[in-house]
Amino acid sequence: MTLTAQDWLKKIKALPLTRRVRIMNVCGGHERSITMAGLRAALPQNVELIPGPGCPVCVCPEEDVYLAIQLALHAGVILVAFGDMLRVPVNVPKSEPRSLEQAKAAGADIRPVASPQEAVRIARENPQRPVVFFAAGFETTTAPVAAMLLEGIPDNLFLLLSCRLTWPAVAMLLESETPGFDALVAPGHVATVMGPEEWSFVVEQHHMPAAVAGFSPVSLLAATYSVLRQRLEDECFLDNCYPEVVRSGGNATAQKQLKQALDVADANWRGIGIIPSSGFALNAQFAAHDARKKFTGYETEGRKRVGEMPPGCDCARVVLGKIYPNECKLFGTACTPRTPVGPCMVSDEGACRIWRASGVETSTTSA
Amino acid sequence: MCLGIPMQIVAIEGYNARCTAKGVMREVSLFMLQDESVAVNDYVIVHVGYAIQKMTEQEAHSTWELLDELLAAENLDSEAA
Repeated sequence: MTLTAQDWLKKIKALPLTRRVRIMNVCGGHERSITMAGLRAALPQNVELIPGPGCPVCVCPEEDVYLAIQLALHAGVILVAFGDMLRVPVNVPKSEPRSLEQAKAAGADIRPVASPQEAVRIARENPQRPVVFFAAGFETTTAPVAAMLLEGIPDNLFLLLSCRLTWPAVAMLLESETPGFDALVAPGHVATVMGPEEWSFVVEQHHMPAAVAGFSPVSLLAATYSVLRQRLEDECFLDNCYPEVVRSGGNATAQKQLKQALDVADANWRGIGIIPSSGFALNAQFAAHDARKKFTGYETEGRKRVGEMPPGCDCARVVLGKIYPNECKLFGTACTPRTPVGPCMVSDEGACRIWRASGVETSTTSA
Repeated sequence: MCLGIPMQIVAIEGYNARCTAKGVMREVSLFMLQDESVAVNDYVIVHVGYAIQKMTEQEAHSTWELLDELLAAENLDSEAA
């Protein structure tokens, strides 16, 4: 007998919860499902669902976006990137193109792609021109990029790799003085590829309840119930509420391909700083395809606010789960999907954009 | 983007497959599932054009229903916006 969403809600409401419990999710897809299904309103008041660092576009280093813009404008390349990178703003004077989209309007050859294979196709169709694939994402996206590399790419295709691992940001939060959450819902498709075991540290090192969830309200509510119950009974374990697709060990082939094509490296997270061993770099065998090595000299000295979120922008605190989207002063006024200030309002995975799309209109704090 | 789409395999040629979901046909790479036995009519989760894992027919169908609901909700909201 499979339980429905209503069944899970009943079970949750029947739990003898006396204190507030903050449950963090670290996947833009989870946040979208939670928000679109109205789960927060359906859950008991003292259960808080907190969107955490689950948006790879939001944490993509500002320097990388800036470099992509410069390459597109000045290096004569065809610049390809996943669609929602195109509107991410960088910190430049008003007279300069502020995003890949603005650079495109200024004449740069910039094309959105939905797959690494499209990047390969574009490179094959334009053998006389260098094509730079600006690839940002977490592990679910990085594994396909690794697969693309191992399948073989044309000489004129270069990678501007800006891929990250999801768990190190959670580890950083848990090791900080105030993590800000009491339980974790782990990302379903990251776990599909990498295996749920990546999240064991949450339980084993931090004695915190954790559950891997899929994207349906049923799966998310099952995971919510699981971590609440774990907490009540003070028995933490890593639960798997997405067993149809998340298997013990994950996709071993994909992990092998990741190791072959890419190395784990320290990485910068926009607005947060460097987190050790949290990103990916091209393996030495692909050095000839590394855009960072091929195209040098495009950073300008003295550029202000390098690496930071835009001026006045509170995305970093939203990404880390310190504030809700509507607790940002700019939410809904200066910052809307049509006029985004920061990446959280640009990306499909950004908590701010998701909340706006669900009808949350205004900030609870005034500007 | 985290949201992988379930698709059904219609044809396989080497590492590539033609897959279908909700009336749409796509080229999908099976490169990441090369150590699994994958056959026509199997269901897979597809992310950025790559199959990342096999899945059951039942799970595929319930996810398709869910995606329909999400899309409907998003369309309503974007019309209202």
